[in-house]
Amino acid sequence: MAPGSAILALSGPLDVQTAASTRREISTQLAGKSFQAVEVDASRIQHGDASGMVILYELLHGRFTPGVQATLRGLRPELEKLLAAFPKPEAVEATERRAAPKPIAVEVGVATIGLGRDFLEVVAFLGRLSIALAAVIRRPRKLRVSELARVFEKAGANALFIVSLISLLTGLIIAFEAAQPLKQFGAQIYIANMIGLVMVRELGPIMTAIVFAGRSGSAFAAELGTMKVNEELDALKTMGLDPTRFLVVQRVLAGTFAMPLLTAYSMAMGILGGVIVTKLMGFPLSLIWRQLTAALGLKDIVFGIVKAVVFGTVVSGLGCYHGVHTRQGPSAVGDSATRAVVSGILLIIVIDAIFSVFAFALDI
Amino acid sequence: MISPAEKPPIIAVEHLTIGYGERVVQRDLNFHVQRGEVFVILGGSGSGKSSLLKCMIGLVAPVAGKILFDGVDIVTAEGAERLKLLNKFGVMYQSGALFGSMTLVENARLPLDEFTRLDLHERELVALTKLNQVGLFEAARRMPSELSGGMQKRAGIARAMALDPAILFLDEPSAGLDPITSAGLDRLIRGLSRDFGITFVVVTHELQSIFAIADRCIMVDGERKTLIAEGKPAELRDHSEDPVVRQFFRREADPEQERKTG
Repeated sequence: MAPGSAILALSGPLDVQTAASTRREISTQLAGKSFQAVEVDASRIQHGDASGMVILYELLHGRFTPGVQATLRGLRPELEKLLAAFPKPEAVEATERRAAPKPIAVEVGVATIGLGRDFLEVVAFLGRLSIALAAVIRRPRKLRVSELARVFEKAGANALFIVSLISLLTGLIIAFEAAQPLKQFGAQIYIANMIGLVMVRELGPIMTAIVFAGRSGSAFAAELGTMKVNEELDALKTMGLDPTRFLVVQRVLAGTFAMPLLTAYSMAMGILGGVIVTKLMGFPLSLIWRQLTAALGLKDIVFGIVKAVVFGTVVSGLGCYHGVHTRQGPSAVGDSATRAVVSGILLIIVIDAIFSVFAFALDI
Repeated sequence: MISPAEKPPIIAVEHLTIGYGERVVQRDLNFHVQRGEVFVILGGSGSGKSSLLKCMIGLVAPVAGKILFDGVDIVTAEGAERLKLLNKFGVMYQSGALFGSMTLVENARLPLDEFTRLDLHERELVALTKLNQVGLFEAARRMPSELSGGMQKRAGIARAMALDPAILFLDEPSAGLDPITSAGLDRLIRGLSRDFGITFVVVTHELQSIFAIADRCIMVDGERKTLIAEGKPAELRDHSEDPVVRQFFRREADPEQERKTG
């Protein structure tokens, strides 16, 4: 044996079970020594697999002995074949090269173009929706009433329980919170006025719309998104059926009609919550009723209901928009549902603010 | 039929009945898979061959019967025993079932990450090698959604092989692939079987694949809800008396269906 050379004799199985311990043993044996040549005697490896061969591969490419590539002898032919399947180190390195990060100007530009394109798509979607709605109005037979009824039941009727609970509790909470400060002025009876106005003009529509966005906006996006991923939307298109007329119109109509109904119900439940609290404070029902009717005018109720109609259209439209524009990939449907809810809630608040400004200016 | 005098089978299925709720899919199945062979499960669409596969890999509990891997029943095995059993085999699902949020090499590396104590560098090398073996080395850093169906399947095989299991289950490996890719896959299976003695259990109904890869096959029937043939594919084709088996191997339409459509 030439000076500075070593023979490494491996034996037994070299597989997924033993690879890690073999590697540890080899590196302790070779640690701190320098060699001119390393020879691996593999003739007594009876059994092996890819996880085991990786140790030999690393020996051959000098990972344990920097600068020295080991030579190998006696490896069984089938293991030889396995070892040959390993990629070359240069090739492995080549796969690791990643794309350089883009300069910030490019990122901003790409994002801006994307934003513009999204805006155009929204406009196109609104256009398609209008055309489909017009077609349905002209020929109501094309509406697919059964689908409309199914969506209406799911988005409307099935939401009654959650809307009841949330509205009733909101009414109760606000009444309780208002009781203390109003008590200081001896004005507790005005809880009834306040609950009436707040629930009818603001919280009724908003709470219902937020529940609607979470329950149904997301469901529309997920439903249509799944259909898009399964190529069901493509199938409709090639059958000459417009997915907007076939699927979107029903959902937008259901949302537009279900929301005001749910909202009216929510207003009533919220007021009921307030009434319960006022009654508990000892005021007679007749007095509470007089306060309520004095505070609430028809225009307040109309104001609330009109908002609900707008919220219903916007939330269900957004849900469908994000569903139809679902991208490919495993998380795409989830992303669409998230976008539908987030953009839905955001737009509800923005539209509500616009309504408030107009209401103030027009003294409604 | 196999004689019980042969060496112990790697998988023994005994009196297996599969069903969902009230509905029985297959009744009283008995067969053995020998170590190192390519064993093919045949059957028409809806015959319950995929259910049988799901049962064999422990995803669905059978109504009755045993599935023994080297004598250990996967139906009753629990805890560490079950985990040891699960690491004995790899499964390629029909659509690949790759994890969509990971690149191919990360997919193939996942079992190694979880079940070995090799370095990251080494695990990566093994995963890349597996991808290399199925011809996907160049695509290693790509996401599954960027690949064609055939590539996803091959990546599924690479992941199933990550821990070098003794048995590979393949669900419809050639379905939906072009003949060239499909033939390449067949060659890969034969090569792995020959070189490394891996036992294959393949569910398929592609005739060409069957003749290219199978050492032995069984055929299940959806009508009779049981095993209707067992043997070498060429023998079944040439000598089977069973009308369904003959139809299958000769690619003949069902006479009853023909009467309706003809």
